[in-house]
Amino acid sequence: MKRLPNAWRYLSIAIIMATMGIAILVQIVRVQGSQEVAGVIDQGDFVWKDFYPPRGEIYDRNGHLLAGNKTVYEIGLDLTANPDMPTVMLALQMSGIDLNEVNYRISQEPPTAKYITLADFISANKAELLINLQKKAHGDPTGKNLDAIFFKAHFARSYPENDLASNVLGFVTQDNHGYLGIEEKYDNILAGLPVRMLVPADPRRVTEYPNIPPGQTIILTIDREIQASIEQILDQALKSTGASSGTIVVMDPKTGDILAMSSTPRMNLNDYQNISTIFPGETPFNRAISQAYEPGSVVKILTMAGALDGSIVKPDTVYFDPGFIVVGGHRIEDWNGQPWGYQDMTGCLANSLNDCLAWVATQMGNDLFYSYMQRFGLGHATGIDLAQETTGRLKLPGDSDWSPMELGTNAFGQGMSATPLQMVMAASALANNGQMVYPQVLYAQIQDGKQIDTKTQIVGTPISSNTAHTISDMLANALESESSGALIPGYRIAGKTGTAQVPLPTGGYDQINVNASFIGWGPLDDPRFIVYIWLEKPQSNKAASVVVAPIFKQVVETLIVSLDIPDDATRLEISGR
Amino acid sequence: MNNVTQIVQKVRQAPWRVQRQWIGLFLLGLVVIAMVAGVYLNITVRATLAGREIQMLRNPSLLNPFPDSQPNSISTDQRINTELETQLAGLTSVESMRQRAEAMGFQAITPGDMIFVAVPGYPEQSTVDLSTSSSNHLAAPVILPEYTESWFDYFLNQQVSSAASGAQP
Repeated sequence: MKRLPNAWRYLSIAIIMATMGIAILVQIVRVQGSQEVAGVIDQGDFVWKDFYPPRGEIYDRNGHLLAGNKTVYEIGLDLTANPDMPTVMLALQMSGIDLNEVNYRISQEPPTAKYITLADFISANKAELLINLQKKAHGDPTGKNLDAIFFKAHFARSYPENDLASNVLGFVTQDNHGYLGIEEKYDNILAGLPVRMLVPADPRRVTEYPNIPPGQTIILTIDREIQASIEQILDQALKSTGASSGTIVVMDPKTGDILAMSSTPRMNLNDYQNISTIFPGETPFNRAISQAYEPGSVVKILTMAGALDGSIVKPDTVYFDPGFIVVGGHRIEDWNGQPWGYQDMTGCLANSLNDCLAWVATQMGNDLFYSYMQRFGLGHATGIDLAQETTGRLKLPGDSDWSPMELGTNAFGQGMSATPLQMVMAASALANNGQMVYPQVLYAQIQDGKQIDTKTQIVGTPISSNTAHTISDMLANALESESSGALIPGYRIAGKTGTAQVPLPTGGYDQINVNASFIGWGPLDDPRFIVYIWLEKPQSNKAASVVVAPIFKQVVETLIVSLDIPDDATRLEISGR
Repeated sequence: MNNVTQIVQKVRQAPWRVQRQWIGLFLLGLVVIAMVAGVYLNITVRATLAGREIQMLRNPSLLNPFPDSQPNSISTDQRINTELETQLAGLTSVESMRQRAEAMGFQAITPGDMIFVAVPGYPEQSTVDLSTSSSNHLAAPVILPEYTESWFDYFLNQQVSSAASGAQP
């Protein structure tokens, strides 16, 4: 048979094509048989994956981190790798890991277990020591290596400021649950909840990969500089007065922003395990919201505000003070038991006359008096966004334990109870043109990278703007007339002391110890802050005007610096331009 | 009739030539198919590799039994960033800053030390805005359009971009 003249060309093409085909087949077999691909194929189309999103961070109003996250390690042991247990235990001990906990965990595992979690929440430093030991022992010819140890990093809560604002923040336990304070109140939005999901193993479906959102970051109204200052002042006050506990609250009366809030004791939130030691028994975690007490004479500002607003009295209304008054068949005496003679209403406040305010309350009558007390929010929780707020108690006519005498005693803060925050919220009406603001700790939250600010909420308008200005002016005059230790040169401040007897659980009042309080706000023409101070059972002196007024002055001096508040003259000069 | 047959026989291609043309056409089709398949394979492989890389960055444990040994994974970087942020907050805490300030000879200011000067137009101190902060958020997956767009989109974009670049002065 005659061969075609160009047959070699066809033959070449055929050989090339055949070679390419064979090469492709070889490559397919090689790729399919590779270890990596075999591993991927074994996974199937989807694989289970555990996600541990980080808990949302907490910042103060100026962007300083108050609660963040740190890396800790879970340390596990693969029993199928036949680990040399004495070597493993020695390495754990050398890394500073508690062997008692390790032994306990091992004892809890069934004999058939293939993997054991030896320890969890191990600090990065300890884990690093163990990793270094593992590297050194790797490939040990005697088989005494640590290759069976596994490390799984995850987040744990960390508080870089330690005990700063601890009463407000609360804490997070190892199971990622928030307790007390902000951590409990906003646990549902802060916690990035761990989830177990099926994720596609196919790299071409990477866009279907689930995006697990982290916990939301939040910004608090707290100013850490002010917070640190009031905590320092409070600690010094407890030392100098011998008080058993103390509380200071600072709020912006226009917005309700809590700028600082502290009570004693405080705790380093990184060591929350010590809580039962630091807060034994029924000790409240945050007295500002969780401990109601008889506030005493600071309530007189509310009684007087109600009477002024109800046109029962005017600032120049004169009352003749014989030193006592009988209300509901009960004799109520002034704090010194002496007659004070003729006093106008400012004098009644300046001298903190119990019988004068009891008289004012009787002039108001039950309906009007208790109506105003309720409008000021007494007897109801403020609703602040902190966990474990208590309501206090305001007995009302008709209640089984209310007696007519209560009208007189409630007028000066006895026979009723309120938390420091309730008093602050009530007083915000006096400092904010009659409008009472909702106290809040959440300034903003970050959602999808956008900051959503919390809006100011007005709870109500218990008194008119005119009344608010009048009572503020009377209180400023009262402070000035008594040359109070709370006065700050150059700044006009409204304020009122409160020295209250401590009720006994068995009935009656403690004849030795008192609760000393002070509430004040300023500058008078444009209030930027309300400060409430409460010292429980001070020993150096019983009078709040002596014990607490100087502390108030210290706090206000700090606020003037931190909030950049010019003195009255400068401010008027600037506003007049 | 014979004349007609003779003419047809003269213009008809030789059989081997017709056969070669068919083979040529077949090979041409094969080459075209191979080219299309090659381009498709190339794109698919690149997309798969990119997807694999993203998988490795986002979820190293899919392939790696020791995920924490994957130094460049997103989760590792995120954890390190968070850790560093917390460490930085500790170093700049109120107590640390106070101690450093005191060591440097600074004293706490009192209201008496303050002098206020009216500066027209000077902005008041505002509260922090963390809107732009993305430290705590996973970055959205970024996939180049080459891996998702159709050929039609690709050629259209090429035309648009070339037209746009041509319009440049």
